Amino acid sequence: MTRTARWAGWVAILALFLWSASATELSLLRMVEGVPFMLDFLRRMVPPDFSVMGNAVRGAVQTLQIAVVGTGVSALLALPLGFAAARNVAPSWLFYGARSVLNVFRAVDTLVYALFFVAAVGLGPFPGVLAVVAYTTTVLAKLYSEAIEAIDPRPVEAVAATGATALQVLRWGVLPQLVPQFLSFTLYRFETNIRAAAILGFVGAGGIGFYIQTYLRMLDYPAASAVLLVLVVLVMLVDFASSRIRARLV
Amino acid sequence: MIRVRALQKVYPGATVALRHIDLEIAAGEFVALIGPSGAGKSSFLRCLNGLIAPTAGEVEMDGEPVTGATGERLRRIRARIGFVFQQFHLLRRLTVLENALIGRLGHVPQGRSLVGWFPVADIARARATLQRVGLGGLWDRRVDTLSGGQQQRVAIARALLQEPRVLLADEPMASLDPALASTVMQLLRRINEEDGITVVTSLHVLELARAYGRRVIGLRDGRVVYDGPPDQLTDAVAAQIFSGAQP
Repeated sequence: MTRTARWAGWVAILALFLWSASATELSLLRMVEGVPFMLDFLRRMVPPDFSVMGNAVRGAVQTLQIAVVGTGVSALLALPLGFAAARNVAPSWLFYGARSVLNVFRAVDTLVYALFFVAAVGLGPFPGVLAVVAYTTTVLAKLYSEAIEAIDPRPVEAVAATGATALQVLRWGVLPQLVPQFLSFTLYRFETNIRAAAILGFVGAGGIGFYIQTYLRMLDYPAASAVLLVLVVLVMLVDFASSRIRARLV
Repeated sequence: MIRVRALQKVYPGATVALRHIDLEIAAGEFVALIGPSGAGKSSFLRCLNGLIAPTAGEVEMDGEPVTGATGERLRRIRARIGFVFQQFHLLRRLTVLENALIGRLGHVPQGRSLVGWFPVADIARARATLQRVGLGGLWDRRVDTLSGGQQQRVAIARALLQEPRVLLADEPMASLDPALASTVMQLLRRINEEDGITVVTSLHVLELARAYGRRVIGLRDGRVVYDGPPDQLTDAVAAQIFSGAQP
């Protein structure tokens, strides 16, 4: 790349930023003016009102359950899709078909799917699970397919050279390379899904988000902050446990 | 007994690996295959157990055609041929014992092998073989924690556990330092002498071929340019095999 091209690139990025900043009314002044209100908001949140602990924990448990079922079902659905979207395994018509479908469905985030499923099947945790499944399946399938494409063909050839059957080659040459990675990706998505499931309640799709939104609407800030604290603890616990397990997998 | 007739291998893009090879290797021989890189050593070995299909010509193993064999018949032939690769080709996340047991896949019931429940006798056999190649006690170690020399011995144990009639080795020493190379060479010689297994190994170091080979086959540009005992492999002949070799 020439010097001029590099400079032109930087100028273009700067121009894009300035254009977007003015359009989004970026203003330091307005932020500073907002500081007293933010402080007031925070002040009203303390001390948290732990009398709503029962609701908070119930919501947290439901969020966890949505993430568990959603991630579990996604992992199962993503397995065949992952193989279909792997260039080195699938015939090209299947590969291109699967990749296109995945890219389309992955463009929409969990919360948008939740709006759709709440309208379709009604309020509650079930549309939340469907929303998690719709998005996570495509993400996991993409990650799985990349792991399948990165497989080392040499041990596979070595297993085939022992006179093993196709199934034995799959079991002893392919799976040992994939299973730890698949588990690691799935756990990572589970961590992310806890966060995603936490806001599903905002649109009526179950979990802890329902209580956060309800208390904020009722202007009951101490109760909202108690629920938020429970959410923080849940996320931290899941992240900690999951990353410990993932570190041992690879 | 291995019989090779008019063997030719041309890769897509008209790369000629093997031009025309005719030879026979009797049961129990120890053959060192030498030649510059690109001479066709790997292609030759891979045609012998059907890992690649030749463009023309035939390979017979104990009177049974390898060329054209597919499915169950090809698997039965391969089960009798051990193959040792230059870079070991182990499953690095599996243990030493699990990697060795892969050599039993052609012998154990398929269902049991798929759930990883190998018969006790096969596990005992795998342990004994690992002991024999000098890896006793390392059974439960993940292979990626082993040294290169140890990994190559796991790979040799895997091949031995097939109970092969023939052991093919594709530059098994090339990834090892020289001291380890002679250990592995001695191991191959012992396998040949004690078990009567035919050994065909390609070597990148002429000295090893002279020291260990009973019969040396020199390949160049996909043809046999020398076939005889190591003591007749003079420097002049060696120079002919390797001259003008691509780096």
